[in-house]
Amino acid sequence: MRHFAVELEELNQALLEMGAMVESSIHCSVQALVDRDERMALRVMEDEKRINQMELDIDARVTRLLALNQPVAGDLRLLIMALKINTDLERMGDLAANMAERAITLSKVPPVKALIDTPRMASLVEDMLHRSLDAFVKRDAVLAAKVLPADDEVDSLRDKIYNELLEIMQLNPSVVPAAIHLMFVARNLERIADHTTNIAEDVIFLVRGVDVRHHATESKV
Amino acid sequence: MRHFEQELEQLKGKLLEMSALVEASVQRSVAAVTQKDRSAAEQVLRDEARINALEMEIDEFAINLLATQQPLAADLRLVVAALKINTDLERMGDLSVHIAQRAVSLLSEPVIQPMVDVHHMSSLVESMVRKSLDAFVANDADMARSVLSSDDAVDSLRTASYHELVSFMEKDPRNIPQALDLIGITRSLERIADHSTNIAEDVMFLVKGIDVRHHAEARQ
Repeated sequence: MRHFAVELEELNQALLEMGAMVESSIHCSVQALVDRDERMALRVMEDEKRINQMELDIDARVTRLLALNQPVAGDLRLLIMALKINTDLERMGDLAANMAERAITLSKVPPVKALIDTPRMASLVEDMLHRSLDAFVKRDAVLAAKVLPADDEVDSLRDKIYNELLEIMQLNPSVVPAAIHLMFVARNLERIADHTTNIAEDVIFLVRGVDVRHHATESKV
Repeated sequence: MRHFEQELEQLKGKLLEMSALVEASVQRSVAAVTQKDRSAAEQVLRDEARINALEMEIDEFAINLLATQQPLAADLRLVVAALKINTDLERMGDLSVHIAQRAVSLLSEPVIQPMVDVHHMSSLVESMVRKSLDAFVANDADMARSVLSSDDAVDSLRTASYHELVSFMEKDPRNIPQALDLIGITRSLERIADHSTNIAEDVMFLVKGIDVRHHAEARQ
């Protein structure tokens, strides 16, 4: 059997590689939308298949590590977090591919509005993902905790985009289909941000042993 | 019964409690939309805290079980599947909260015609939720597989109602806010169906040991 520490390091690397691919998919799907670049969007959709394969590989790797090494305490929690982070990353890949599909549809119709807030939202979300994964590999709860406040900023950008589009639609019903696509892009970015906060919360749980899930969020509902 | 088997049964019992709650929330949120039932919507909002608490409890229970019992092979797969199903259930609970919130904002609006599709779609989704959870309880791969085929039907119902709602909005801009709520509701229903599919896939993995995720051919 290979040394457990080496196996854990490889698992970290696999998650980081998947995270980098998801980050680039988020970036490219929104860039494709702004630039009306169908080829770039198609690349994101191709990459989603690779992300799906990575998810299966990481799950299999974690299950094998659980079976062969029977880890306890900290290492066990780490492996469970890896499973959860894997699920979050795959879902983010799906959401990016969905944005890419919408970018292709939108590239064929006249622009509804100048896209300024959407790429801003995307770069905020990419940064959240980057920092949450960084916090995971460094096992840094302080770094992870810093990811959480950005979620509110993402939510208010989403509301702003949504209200703007609603107004545009009401003034000009012929742009309804395109405006709905843009609303969904904003919603997907918001969902991606939620997944990054899942990761950050998992890291805090891992390091401090405190479950922060469902505490801050409850009052919002 | 060995101590370990008792603990596994306990884990399954907690998941069943969670799934009963989630299934009820999905049904109530749909009733809140289709029957304009405000108290059903409020019940969904109240139950969310219990679902969230159960999610954490189940995670903790599963992690302790892994730590103390160190299960292997099929038992290990069961615990890992329980962790995944737990995540899906919690997310389905969230989605029913979204539906309930939109239902509340629709309460004061007159019913528009495309609601017919919401009825049809929601009964299909409710049956997927029920079947995927029954398949888990009964270890029934055939029942799990039947969930996978419904997912396509849900997707096409959703697409159809989407186009209908869009033309509604184009015809009369006053319909826009209400139609957007309905689009959001059908989107959430579709996502609930996706999570049921995830659960069904986990059951197939448990029973047959094959991973059918992302592989259309293995689903047949």
